Amino acid sequence: MTTITTFYLSRIVGIKAYDSNEKYVGIVKDLLVESESSNLTSGHPAVTGIKIKHNNQLSFYSFQQFRVEKVNGKIKIIATQLTNLPEENINNDLSLIESVLDKQIVDINGRKLVRVNDVRLVSLVNGTFAVAVDIGVEGLLRRIGIAKPLKFGLSLVGSDMPGKFINWNDFEAIDFSNLNIKLSKTYKKLQTLHPSDLADIIEELGKKASAEIFSSLDDEKAADVMEELEPETQVQILESLSIEKAADVLDKMPADEVADILDGLEDEKIELLLNEMEEETSQDVRELLVYPDHTVGSIMSSEFMSFNLNMTIEEVLNELRRTKPESETLYNLFVTDESDVLLATFSIRDVVITPPDTQINRIMKPSPVHLRDYQKINEVAEIVSKYNLLAIPVVDNKNVLKGMVVIDDVIEDLIRKRRTNK
Amino acid sequence: MFKNRKSLFQKIAIFLAILGPGIITGSVDNDAGGITTYSVAGAVYGYNLLWTLIPSFIVLVVIQEMNARMGIVTGKGLADLIRENAGVKATFFIFSGLLIGDIGNTTTEFAGVAGSMEVFGVSKYISVPIIGILVWILVVKGTYKIAERIFLLFSVSLLMYVVSALMGKPHWGEIGHAIISPQLEVNTQSMAMIIGIIGTTIAPWMLFYMQSSVIEKGLDMKQYKYSLVDIVVGCTATVVVAFFIIVACASTLHVNGTIINEAKDAALALKPLAGAIASQVFAFGLFIASIFSATILPLATSFYVCEAFGFEAGIDKKWDEAKEFYTLYTSILILSGGIILLPNAPLILISLWSQVINGMLLPVVLVCMILLVNNKKIMGKYVNKPINNIISWVTIIALTGLSLTLLFLKLFS
Repeated sequence: MTTITTFYLSRIVGIKAYDSNEKYVGIVKDLLVESESSNLTSGHPAVTGIKIKHNNQLSFYSFQQFRVEKVNGKIKIIATQLTNLPEENINNDLSLIESVLDKQIVDINGRKLVRVNDVRLVSLVNGTFAVAVDIGVEGLLRRIGIAKPLKFGLSLVGSDMPGKFINWNDFEAIDFSNLNIKLSKTYKKLQTLHPSDLADIIEELGKKASAEIFSSLDDEKAADVMEELEPETQVQILESLSIEKAADVLDKMPADEVADILDGLEDEKIELLLNEMEEETSQDVRELLVYPDHTVGSIMSSEFMSFNLNMTIEEVLNELRRTKPESETLYNLFVTDESDVLLATFSIRDVVITPPDTQINRIMKPSPVHLRDYQKINEVAEIVSKYNLLAIPVVDNKNVLKGMVVIDDVIEDLIRKRRTNK
Repeated sequence: MFKNRKSLFQKIAIFLAILGPGIITGSVDNDAGGITTYSVAGAVYGYNLLWTLIPSFIVLVVIQEMNARMGIVTGKGLADLIRENAGVKATFFIFSGLLIGDIGNTTTEFAGVAGSMEVFGVSKYISVPIIGILVWILVVKGTYKIAERIFLLFSVSLLMYVVSALMGKPHWGEIGHAIISPQLEVNTQSMAMIIGIIGTTIAPWMLFYMQSSVIEKGLDMKQYKYSLVDIVVGCTATVVVAFFIIVACASTLHVNGTIINEAKDAALALKPLAGAIASQVFAFGLFIASIFSATILPLATSFYVCEAFGFEAGIDKKWDEAKEFYTLYTSILILSGGIILLPNAPLILISLWSQVINGMLLPVVLVCMILLVNNKKIMGKYVNKPINNIISWVTIIALTGLSLTLLFLKLFS
């Protein structure tokens, strides 16, 4: 046999398999392919096993001794020998019926969820491989059994039905919710997606799949994705994680975001999480949690950099290099006195264009626009727009600097308000 | 530090936030088709069919509870679950039926709009296109959420049927007597009426709608009991409104022997018997209910069809992102609005056949649901309790029996 046979999963599932002596072996129920964790020698995963039903009994056989042929347009499957598939393959390999066909998968290039209508396979001399998934209308019609007549009809009027396929390397199977065995998947391809896209996908998924994908992410990535999720999904995901993992993820997030998320949880759970988190982060979060909703304190970020007015630019730069703050903290710098009372602001631009031995008090802008921590949020947007600010310092009633509100948080609040008004 | 943060007030707040899926579903349930069926039932059989509301209520609660539970546990829509577990062919059958049935139902809603506005002297050639375009803009331009709330507020106006009923001075003694021992002749018409009442109370699309709304709220198992309260409140509202529509028509039209075919007839016939206000209240209720359902039904239908077949769907998507969804939605609206505007449109036939399709589809969807909700791989420890299964299977068998009887009667009589 030197021919290449391409075929669809839907054409092979449900047909009868025979051995080389034309003896009936059973009905094909499923195919197993190499999962991503095993090293793929070629670009595409090979079919490793086949599930066959005979006399009401299901058995898994190794696919190496099976041959797929196309005779007069009909797919035939022939078993040269029946070898039981090792337990390891049954448990670890990817079942096309259980986890791919009719399930949602992540289209990595399109960055969205799509539903699989069929799987395209190819049989070569050295084995049978899964090539692509069919997500187009043609696949649907093929499954219903009206693709061929429809295609014929279309060809009469000179038209064609465009197929839609995704190459096997460009998607990630995610739906294992119908399985009892717990696969420890790595979802390597998903790691390449932008956190916002990943968050959108997680929101659209069922509960089990979204929890599983989230817990497969490393803490850093998980924190980025968590920030992008809708509040309901944030709570739902947090509830699905172990306290330790949840605390690790929260540790990597800004304190104001953490406080927002915790607001949606039950009191006992909040205490558990805060105790598990690192002392420094949880202290900041506790302070923020005191502020009621709709006050500036509840959306402000408690991460900011403040300096003494006698420090030089050189010293400021050294301090920044030492602490390596996030970019939003870096852009807006503050000047405070010994008791943390806000005196002035200066920007990273001022720092960059000033000679290193200059003192801060020469470049700083005194009596800056500021907010009170218990002020209502809806006044903030106006102030931001009026003074063209990227961030505003927040002080308490003794003018002690407590944090800052970044324009990003203001926009987020505005969007949320608009959405709930809809 | 955080002790006592959740006071009684907060518990109420949680409930109000979760509140919705059941109550909205309950309100949409009393649509133009429902109001028509209840009015005709009251006019023809007086108080004698009121008892059907009791089994309807029980079944409604049991089914919606299963939907809510499935939504909470899996976070997946019913359409998704059916596609993933039953394959393409079964999905294709169910959703073709759902689509055809819902086009019929939407037509009935527009008939309600036309009929109720005619009571106020507005021609259907004006009311139907205007409402159709308004509904379309409402959804496509993305102001749907605020519309949903306005509708919810307006659906309180359905309680106006209580006023309408009381104006007809019903005999409470007779009502009680009729519920306990109804005087009912068993024949083809009364059988069809009973099926009609149950069929209009439990519509197949409602199951999909209920589950999606629960998911949209992002509930978890801890909030299950609030969700249950929501369902019971919604179902009670549905049944109470149905009760008063039947009573309103029974204590006036039935007593005087007035025969009606449509909900509009009921509104018109109430005028000399219970006064102009009662008539207008009745028509206004019909108008609101019709628009509410004419908005939600096509939207919901397009959503489930796209969900099942893997097309992008959702009103938060742009037209280019979800072409199939918006095309389907627009087509359903144009088709069903257009049918109403045809002179001599066979409205009674359309509403009859959409009820028949619903009746046949409901047992199929219910069987799928029960198989799903009893599947340990999907539901884990939250599979059905025996009592749920008993009630569900009895319902399926009874509904299948009734639907087949109806179909048989319609075809051979």
